[in-house]
Amino acid sequence: MALLLLVQLLLLNHLHLFGYATPLIIGYMIICFESGMSRMSQLWWGFIMGLIYDLFSNTMGMGAASMTLLAMMKPYLLKLFMPRDVVDSFKPTIQTMNLSNYIGYTLACMGLLHMSFYFLEAFTLSDLLLTIGAMIGGTLMATLISVCTEYIVHNRQQERDVMK
Amino acid sequence: MQNLIDFIIKYKYWFAFLLMEGFSLAMLVRFNNYQGSVYFTTANSLVGGIYSAADGVTSYVGLGKANEMLEAQNMLLQAEVHEMKRQLAAHHIDTLQFAGFNRSRYRFVGAQVINATTGHSTNLLTINRGSDDGIRPEMGVVSSSGVVGIVYLTSAHYSIVMPLINVKSKVSCRLSQHDASGTMEWKFGDIRSAYMTGVPLHIKISKDEKVETNGYSDIFPSGIPIGTVQQAEPSADGLSHTLKIRLAVDFATVRNVSIITNYHHAEKKQLEFVADSIMTL
Repeated sequence: MALLLLVQLLLLNHLHLFGYATPLIIGYMIICFESGMSRMSQLWWGFIMGLIYDLFSNTMGMGAASMTLLAMMKPYLLKLFMPRDVVDSFKPTIQTMNLSNYIGYTLACMGLLHMSFYFLEAFTLSDLLLTIGAMIGGTLMATLISVCTEYIVHNRQQERDVMK
Repeated sequence: MQNLIDFIIKYKYWFAFLLMEGFSLAMLVRFNNYQGSVYFTTANSLVGGIYSAADGVTSYVGLGKANEMLEAQNMLLQAEVHEMKRQLAAHHIDTLQFAGFNRSRYRFVGAQVINATTGHSTNLLTINRGSDDGIRPEMGVVSSSGVVGIVYLTSAHYSIVMPLINVKSKVSCRLSQHDASGTMEWKFGDIRSAYMTGVPLHIKISKDEKVETNGYSDIFPSGIPIGTVQQAEPSADGLSHTLKIRLAVDFATVRNVSIITNYHHAEKKQLEFVADSIMTL
């Protein structure tokens, strides 16, 4: 989690895709939460993570509001993409969901996070195209990084399993 | 109560979510200059809109009072205009003549129409001033638009006015541009039109020419509007014009009026009475 924050603050915050789209990889933390985790703790994690992000990137309130919204909506988004036969708590990974569902789920979560963040940052509808551009750019970039990270972790785990 | 507590416990994460979002948005407008200014501008214009709507309602409720004030002011101005006109006319005759400190002969008393008929041939208006307010029969009644009628009967607190739209009403009048006098009469029917008779045939009448009081009688000072000429046709005897006049006052809606009291009326009547009695000796 700390690693995620460090990567976000030190590396990705300085990345401005097309001049204005910054991917918010901190949402990956919420994406990874297990489905059985209590909603209150998910909310608190989202809120605090967002708040820490805000403190360091001088965007007071935007990150906290967006991350809390994502934490609130994540269970509903997960329900859309998770396999039907799963009953108990499960961790959303490529392994458990298959690649296309996982990409869809990540895309939806990242889309929601970036949409709320960039609309709060713009706070107006007058530069709608610019806001939507930043939103789409950030979402795609963040989704790409998340899926790649997940893929690497997934592969390592498989290797470890094979080694055993 | 238990149900309420159960409901709150069941959906506590929704309440927590709303609290966190509220806190985040409060931080957003508090610590970010741009978002703060947008928020406060929008809030200000919203509050301003609500205030102006409330103000609109309040001022609408106060319109009656404002109307009364304006009417009172209008009466004062009318009296002043009349006095000015009188002094101006005197100055034109001889600029060296001292006009003296005479007050205007006329005074205006405000009143409200409390009952009116418009569908009969002998329409009447009731106003809320009577003999206790100094009102006497044969006093003129005007509104801010023009001549209304003449006081017909009075009681202590009320008076009956015979308006222009009464077939028995006859008011002496003149065409403002030609100074040609005639008599204003009404025929049963249209309450917005009356007829001016007795205008000599040689006078060229133009449409929309103003008709006003001529000041021959003591009832009305000269120059109070009655209406405008709509059309002209020769009278039945072929000796004069009969002009159809669109009346200045709308008798269906007239409400605030003024009664013109003439200080010199009694004195003039007395003198005429004395003259008559000497002649009959």
